[in-house]
Amino acid sequence: MVGAVSAVGRAACLVGVGETRYAKWGGITGTSEYQLALQAVLGAIADAGMTPDDIDGLASFAEDRNEATFMAADLGLPELRYASLSWLPGGGGACAAVANAAMAVQSGAAEAVVVYRSLCQGQFRRFGQGPGNVATRPGPPRVPHVRRATSLLEAHVGFTMPFGMFSPPIAYAMVLRRHMHRFGTTVEHMGHVAVTTRAHAARNPRAVMRDRPMTMDDYLASRWVSEPFRLFDCCLENDGACAVVVTTAERAADSAHGPVALLGAAQGALRGFGHGQYSNVSMPDDDYASAGARQVAARLWAASGIGPSDIDVAQIYDHFTGLVLLSLEDFGFCGRGEGGPFAASGALSWSGGSLPTNTHGGSLSEAYIHGLNHVVEGVRQLRGSSTCQVDGAQTCLVTSAAGVPTSALVMARP
Amino acid sequence: MTERWFPDEMPMPAASAETVGWWEAAAEHRLVVQRCTACGQMRHPPGPVCPVCRSTASEWSATEGTGTVYTYTVVRQAFIPSLADKIPYVVIAVELDGAQGLRMVSNLVDVEPEEVTVGMAVEVAWEDMGPELAVPRFRPAAGGESR
Repeated sequence: MVGAVSAVGRAACLVGVGETRYAKWGGITGTSEYQLALQAVLGAIADAGMTPDDIDGLASFAEDRNEATFMAADLGLPELRYASLSWLPGGGGACAAVANAAMAVQSGAAEAVVVYRSLCQGQFRRFGQGPGNVATRPGPPRVPHVRRATSLLEAHVGFTMPFGMFSPPIAYAMVLRRHMHRFGTTVEHMGHVAVTTRAHAARNPRAVMRDRPMTMDDYLASRWVSEPFRLFDCCLENDGACAVVVTTAERAADSAHGPVALLGAAQGALRGFGHGQYSNVSMPDDDYASAGARQVAARLWAASGIGPSDIDVAQIYDHFTGLVLLSLEDFGFCGRGEGGPFAASGALSWSGGSLPTNTHGGSLSEAYIHGLNHVVEGVRQLRGSSTCQVDGAQTCLVTSAAGVPTSALVMARP
Repeated sequence: MTERWFPDEMPMPAASAETVGWWEAAAEHRLVVQRCTACGQMRHPPGPVCPVCRSTASEWSATEGTGTVYTYTVVRQAFIPSLADKIPYVVIAVELDGAQGLRMVSNLVDVEPEEVTVGMAVEVAWEDMGPELAVPRFRPAAGGESR
């Protein structure tokens, strides 16, 4: 099944995972987002059978408030030898951060690196809520009606915010509308992602939505946010943290739960993609109506030595149901434009599907931790301890967000 | 003042040194795109270097103010309170005529949401949001046919 098992012997390994509890938005108030990050990291280290004395690196990805320098001090690490932050944004960077950690340990720059993400949106601005950091009048003196952008992204969204494109669901609803126009994708196709993922969450005691069953009728009755996206097409916004320990194959051999090997990883963006469809609507049509991940996918399969048909279970970033369909296309599980019918065939279900997907409940129903919890679930699947365990799973694909510069990885049981 | 479709509380644009000129033209109801004067490539949003020939020389090139709907969404959630009585509203990506296929984000106004289609012909409709801030919306083109 695994076409390149020989590579596993030299691969970096994922040896520990840690999670705090996941709670609905604003559900964690007594513990800071930063303390949760530390707790998740400590949990992952303990899960690996290590102590903080074994850790010499930290890795994260863009839009992180929790700086590795302070983390290293507060964790009491003997020495910080490696600290990196991927430029890939929010949802796009989780797999890149794992890949960067793997490159660090493979090069000898570090021995053991912890990748982490903590998100307590109740303690900060809620991303999906709208123009929270966009000032109203008055502006700076040079041009009274326009204020100075404090980042390149802010200057770009200066061309979206005044038009009421406040928030990711509005931007990506337009991507799905284009996909529907070209390929006949339907809201029911997206509904299959929402309903299937919710069913997986019902088996997962960590999942924020574990007690909220959903039928297709429930899905179709949920309120519109921005057509064709309903409320149940949009991921959760919540509080929680998770972390993953990456180390060398040699060091991983005696880890508490046994190693999971990183078979391959890839990251990047298409030519001219910028920050993706969130701010760029002038890209080629084939890029716009896609996940924007086809080159990342091609490089991932080349690096891994296996292909889509070798994947036993997948964790596909699900900020929006529709973008799962587009990722399935870009990563080659179905043809271009066939993501909707593929999902509607039942393929994504743990219960008998050909590609069990988001077996923890994903960002739609477990928790929104910028997809690092998808990496955690991948490790669980290959250890045989998922609450929706795929029998004999040997390989797992994890992808980061569609529609922004992104990353992906394949992990395998050695 | 022009007709108004959106409330005063809409976010003002934030601009960089490279994008502020676009908003200055908009204040005069001129819909422009940035054009590289070395190779002729147009780009939007504006930027400091031409990604095709890497020249830093550019000018503001007038557009025809017409285009077609490339894609759209009907927004039915009021992301700011003052939009509560304005929803639903339509956000579009409009493919501008005579602009090398460039698209921009805007709104389609004076239309029922269920009448919006991909390919619909549209024309610019300026909205003065204040004495020195004009935002280009679009409306269905007069006598326009979908393309």
